[in-house]
Amino acid sequence: MSLQIKPILAALRRHKAGTLLIALQIALTLAIVCNALFIIHDRLAHIGEASGVDEASVFVIHNQWGGDQSEQEIDAQVRADMAALRQLPSVRDAAPASGYPLQGGGWDNFITMTPDQVKPTTDSAVYGGDEHLIDSLGLQLVAGRNFRPDEVATMGDQQMVIPPVVIVTRALADRLFPDGSALGKSFYAMGATPSTIIGIVQTMHRQGTSTWDRPYAGQALIWPLRRADTRGLYYVVRAKPGELAEAMREAPRALYAQTRMRIIAGKDGIQDYARIRQRAYDRDRGMAILMGVICTVLLAITAAGIVGLTSFWVGQRRKQIGVRRALGARQRDILGYFLTENLLITGGGVLLGLVLAVGMNLWLIVRFASQPMPIAYLGVGVLLLVLLGQGAVLAPALKASRVPPVEATRSV
Amino acid sequence: MLKMTHLSKVYRTEVVETYALRDFNIDVKEGEFVAVTGPSGSGKTTFLTIAGLLETFTGGTYHLDGIEVSQLDDNARSKIRNEKIGFIFQAFNLIPDLNVFDNVEVPLRYRGMKAPERKQRIMDALERVGLASRAKHYPAELSGGQQQRVAIARALAGSPRLLLADEPTGNLDTQMARGVMELLEEIHREGATIVMVTHDPELAARAQRNVHIIDGQVVDLAEDPRFHAHVVEARQGKVAAE
Repeated sequence: MSLQIKPILAALRRHKAGTLLIALQIALTLAIVCNALFIIHDRLAHIGEASGVDEASVFVIHNQWGGDQSEQEIDAQVRADMAALRQLPSVRDAAPASGYPLQGGGWDNFITMTPDQVKPTTDSAVYGGDEHLIDSLGLQLVAGRNFRPDEVATMGDQQMVIPPVVIVTRALADRLFPDGSALGKSFYAMGATPSTIIGIVQTMHRQGTSTWDRPYAGQALIWPLRRADTRGLYYVVRAKPGELAEAMREAPRALYAQTRMRIIAGKDGIQDYARIRQRAYDRDRGMAILMGVICTVLLAITAAGIVGLTSFWVGQRRKQIGVRRALGARQRDILGYFLTENLLITGGGVLLGLVLAVGMNLWLIVRFASQPMPIAYLGVGVLLLVLLGQGAVLAPALKASRVPPVEATRSV
Repeated sequence: MLKMTHLSKVYRTEVVETYALRDFNIDVKEGEFVAVTGPSGSGKTTFLTIAGLLETFTGGTYHLDGIEVSQLDDNARSKIRNEKIGFIFQAFNLIPDLNVFDNVEVPLRYRGMKAPERKQRIMDALERVGLASRAKHYPAELSGGQQQRVAIARALAGSPRLLLADEPTGNLDTQMARGVMELLEEIHREGATIVMVTHDPELAARAQRNVHIIDGQVVDLAEDPRFHAHVVEARQGKVAAE
């Protein structure tokens, strides 16, 4: 196949409008597709983030109280509920909690290293629970110890209790004490009372999943607090392996057997982690799908544009193709001519598209706090557009290669 | 150089078979200048397209420069067209998007010739037709006669064994036609084999030999007194002019 770049370029210069339009279309498609692919990958990676929870076995009950009970009565009821849940044959452990990972939003505090520090060191998600919370969630304690029962405080509606001990995630420990000496050290999460780190868990996702949380990803702390909230609280229940469904059926029955002065909503009152995760990442999934659709539509339009223009050019140049064949061009020379022509147009579009893609990414960084796009996405985008171009041009190019040489002798 | 024996070309549709050439015999020797004449629809152009391997034929044999071409595949036919045949078309058939230089270069590129040799051959061919100074011009910027000269340069650049010309002066006025014809005669004098299809008896008379086609067959000129008279008249005129 003889390369004919110079005469092809010369011919393209005589068809500027069509060439420029397709090159521009390719450039815009590349810019949008690169950024869209990056967003898709980013969102999918987000969706796949580890929660630290034993998601196959854990479910959460949103327990709301009915009637008018004192905080003491609520605390007693919570203890009774826990005893009832933990006795169920299908349940491994259960704990009251102020919130749970991937909940969608919740309690968080700024962290300072001294009580009078004005600018916070960082931010952390805050969870409250008793000595059963770590096991109930299935968190992995990698250093230190769990809470003792005597360290668990009760916190009413209007109270703010700062426990003197705290368990933190590895990410928060490393952020506060990068030298790895977090265990036994203290920090301030609210007020002037320090909390001393007694344990470190490997991973515990924040309640939220929004991009705002990203600088603080994985930073969470657990205080030994059992909330006596008159509105209600969450019960985190961990089923024995393979008994999640059974536990989810038994748990509300056991709770209602304790007292019927409670509300567990039919739809969202009891959720396993598959459901929790799905709800938490609905927006990310939606964005990934939207970007995928945009990419597909754009690529299809670009491919259609290439097919249309090349088909038009083949029809327009039918006689010229016949002349080339008469002068000795083989079928594969004609095929090569159109593939090379498309490669040159795509090449021009791709060069412009790379600049646009980087520009678009910079705009997304400035405007929407997006992340810098790794260069690999540009490579994937270029490869995609080149393959698309060559694929789209193949059918009209094959048609062109089948123009017989005798076409040269026919009058137009 | 070019020998067709009992050659036929049939166009078939579902209901009818049309013979464009039937029991067609011709033998063109190396160095000959043969004019092929005949009325419209007689099969002149079909003969030329088969001779130039632009089309296949239905029956018979065709030897070109000693090669029997009926069994050749498309690539081999392309190679022979490229290396052994030079085409001159009535409508010039220059590629409008390419300048004169690039037009002449087209068959040389398909031959895989290196750039310096291509350039040398192109400039030689353009010198030969007197258009070296127009190398950067586009076909639309040239007169009809100049365009046909470029087409001749394109045909000559590859040093073909056989030049096939299809009504080479058909689209030209008398003066331009004369110039193109003189160029063909000059090329012939230098040893080229030329087969020219024309319906112009005056042009035919300037060839060494005439072959007349009627209804897809070569006929003996002696049996066509009308044509014979035209040619004799034209030849007498040529002699008188000389």
